[in-house]
Amino acid sequence: MDIKTWDHRNVVIFDINGEISRSEMPEPTLHQQVKGNLERGKRDILLNLKNVGFIDSFGIGEILASFVSTQNLGGKLKLCHVSKKLYLLFQVTMLVRVLEIFDDCDGALKSFEAL
Amino acid sequence: MRSGGPGEGERLFDDRRLYGLLRRFRVDLRPDESRAALFLFVYFFLITFTFYIVKTVKESFQISVNERWWGYFDLGTAFLIGFVVAVNTRLLNRLPRRKYSSLTLGFSAGCLVLFWFLFELAARRTFVIPALLVLAKDYWFVFVFAFSFWSDIFIAMSVTQFWIAVNDALHPHQAKRLVGFLVTGGLVGGIGGALFAWGLSRVRPPHDLLLVGPVVLVLTIFAVNLVHGEQERIRGGKGAEPVRAGTGIGYLESLRTVRGDRYLRILAGVLASAVIVGQLVNYQFKFIVKAQPWDARARTSFLAIFFFGILVLSAFFHLFTTGRILRRFGIPLALLVAPLVLLLGTVPVFALSAAAVTTLAGRSWAMGMRGADKMFDNTISQSVRELLYIPIPAEIKYKAKVFIDMFVNKFALAFGAVIYWVLYRVSSFAEKSPYARVRELGFVVIAVALVWIALIWIIHAEYLETVKKDLGRKWQDARKVVAANVDIDLTRLIVDTLQSREKSSTLYVMNLFQLVQKEKLTADLMEAIGLKGEELKARSMDALLDVGGETFFPGIEEAITGKDFEVVVREVMALPVYQDLMEKRMDDLVGEKGVSDVVRMEAARVMGLMEPTPGVLRDLSRLLQDPSPDVLTYALNSAIVHLRKEHVPLIVALLANPATQQLAQDTLAAYGPRIEDVLKKHLQDRRERPAVRKAIPEVLARFGDQKAADALVAELGSCDEALEPDLIEALYRIRSSHPQVRYRKKRVAAAVLSLARRNAEDYLAAAQAGAAEGPGPVRKGAMDLRMKLIFDLLTLLGPPEDIVKAYQNILRGGDRSADYSLELLDNILDRDLKAHLLPLLENLPPDERCRRLKKLVRGRAAR
Repeated sequence: MDIKTWDHRNVVIFDINGEISRSEMPEPTLHQQVKGNLERGKRDILLNLKNVGFIDSFGIGEILASFVSTQNLGGKLKLCHVSKKLYLLFQVTMLVRVLEIFDDCDGALKSFEAL
Repeated sequence: MRSGGPGEGERLFDDRRLYGLLRRFRVDLRPDESRAALFLFVYFFLITFTFYIVKTVKESFQISVNERWWGYFDLGTAFLIGFVVAVNTRLLNRLPRRKYSSLTLGFSAGCLVLFWFLFELAARRTFVIPALLVLAKDYWFVFVFAFSFWSDIFIAMSVTQFWIAVNDALHPHQAKRLVGFLVTGGLVGGIGGALFAWGLSRVRPPHDLLLVGPVVLVLTIFAVNLVHGEQERIRGGKGAEPVRAGTGIGYLESLRTVRGDRYLRILAGVLASAVIVGQLVNYQFKFIVKAQPWDARARTSFLAIFFFGILVLSAFFHLFTTGRILRRFGIPLALLVAPLVLLLGTVPVFALSAAAVTTLAGRSWAMGMRGADKMFDNTISQSVRELLYIPIPAEIKYKAKVFIDMFVNKFALAFGAVIYWVLYRVSSFAEKSPYARVRELGFVVIAVALVWIALIWIIHAEYLETVKKDLGRKWQDARKVVAANVDIDLTRLIVDTLQSREKSSTLYVMNLFQLVQKEKLTADLMEAIGLKGEELKARSMDALLDVGGETFFPGIEEAITGKDFEVVVREVMALPVYQDLMEKRMDDLVGEKGVSDVVRMEAARVMGLMEPTPGVLRDLSRLLQDPSPDVLTYALNSAIVHLRKEHVPLIVALLANPATQQLAQDTLAAYGPRIEDVLKKHLQDRRERPAVRKAIPEVLARFGDQKAADALVAELGSCDEALEPDLIEALYRIRSSHPQVRYRKKRVAAAVLSLARRNAEDYLAAAQAGAAEGPGPVRKGAMDLRMKLIFDLLTLLGPPEDIVKAYQNILRGGDRSADYSLELLDNILDRDLKAHLLPLLENLPPDERCRRLKKLVRGRAAR
């Protein structure tokens, strides 16, 4: 997995490529990178999953841990470009009740501005 | 120049220069508040200047009439005030606030001229209006009565209008900061008025003093227009629209508002008790002054200099004590000062002799008591009473304030007058010496002061509840949100099942089997993961268990959702022959080199389904040290089934691996408190890998017992900053899920102060580096995280829900809710914590923040 981050106003966008899994775990991990941004005072995080084909249980844990760290600091963590297959997985596991998921990044970014 | 227009103030007072000037006098204000604060200061100055001239004349005239009428003066005012309140509210409904205040002041100026004229006629004993002679033989008494009544109305209305203007112009926390400055304006005005009255009373008859009033009131009208002009300017920029006249507020509505709100009823009770005690003390004072052999000028002069003395003392008390008492002890103790002093001050009267009334001792006691009452009333009691209105919503506050200040106040006066009247009649005051009267009034003062203290006790609790009403959570605890909506274990199993489909049919079927065991393989889930009978038929545990080349369990598709499936598998797994075979196969697989990851994963997975024989546990131990994170995941899933103590060190070691950390934490948490000592040892071991130490608090938090909390708090004092966030987060979690757990408060408070000090040092370092706007984003991010940790720790010291709400509202709330949060913290935190935290949280100008933080950092260093 490869993660590139860039800022759009106050939002940090994580462009993730590859699988979010323990076998392709980056160093630092996704959660550690999110925490790094929180330490920089960046509290609004958008995970762009356009190029993510698979997420394992470790990846789910990473996303949820990132969500917890962000929200408990008064920030927001949202997801965009989630494939149909992954969305189905999020539905079955009820993650859609917790995570805000957008079809595209523009919609997600607008939702941050609306806060 | 337009009179009183919004632009006028802008031309007259440059914001920055004015701010600089006021800051020189240590006024705790912000640049955009400078003009509003100055105009309100001048407004209050002029009001009290007039007030003390009028008051001196009124008291001198009242003492001059027979003491049997004293109670009637107060009763008359109290009964007639109802009509005035009705007229007042009606006019408030019809006229804009600005116009109404100006008209009231203009009318008062006219009344003063009229009273001067009447007293002048009385003094010359000539009457141009014969009807007055018919109406009253004792016209002097009539004029004094009318003047007393009018002056009470004037004082009540003008002071109420002033505080309404303050409430309109300032937010709660602003008001709390500036109330000291404004009260100073009032005190200085009173000192000026009393001094002026003293000087003039020495050369002119008392009623001539009244002619000064109209001149000052015309200046007050000018100040009122400046205040309202500034309010409109600020309102045009930001802030909520204050309640305006014309919203249909009537006397009955004001009464209903107070009656319908417990907090307001108690507030009215506090005010009424204070008024009654003050009034009884005033009667005692009057008896002693009347007993002195003085003429009208000497008496007026004495009263003026007495008021001057009280106000000078009040000013000193206010400047050097009020703010400190409020900051250090908060609202409840600040409110208790007056009743306690008056209660204790009454006691010496019982030790005085009857003859002492006309001696210096008697006069000193009377001046001391009345002086104390007025001094506290002018300073700390007034400040705190006004603060008690702050948490009330604006529209209710306006209605209630009019009623409490103008009606309850006078009702209390009437009650005090009735007490006096009853004592005068029942105890035959007319036949008693001044000393006996003063002493008997002393008993009643003690009784009412005790009621006053009780009401203060009650209102403090209510005050906090009222402040809290306006604070809501801005977001929910994310862990609780996740826990309420997502079954994490099931989610992992579903995802692992899907993943295993691509890797191994054996793993896939075993995962499906576990879903069946947990009764989670619902029809919806089967459809979602694309599970079909044919697919299952083709896949079986062949890779691992195919010993004869046949499908191991044909027909699984018909039984997979039924109980029979689980029973059959269990029975097969329990067969001794099968166990022996599997154990041997496991040994071979685990010991063999070059076995694929998938096969090791299958082996690790099946161990969770097997009996925990020594061989199985030994093989599981080996797999818990496997280099592949996927194998470790399955090994941990099996370890969680057997929960063997010999596996604990291996699982603890896996905490260092980010790929297995979460699952290792889950596994250790499943062991429960029996492994607390082992975890505590690893936590305290400085040679242990940092990642392991950092992951342990999360496990202890899940145990959530006293022992876990003690271990975390003990470690908190070890000054390991890298570990600090994990320890604090774990403590916060225990606090929110296990409220019965107790914490060593001293150690927790020390950790809070240490974090606050580091934030202060960071801020000062940024300021020293020349960052005018405060710390840069990186430093600020670190400070924000520390602040979150501070609030997490504060939940261990105070009511957690209140602390969380305060944090969230400071971070994400509007000006008003942030202000209320600070007010709440100000009331629930202890002195040391407040002193360290408020300068970091309050909206302060950078130079003021630096000054306060430097003081704190220096203070800590000195200790």
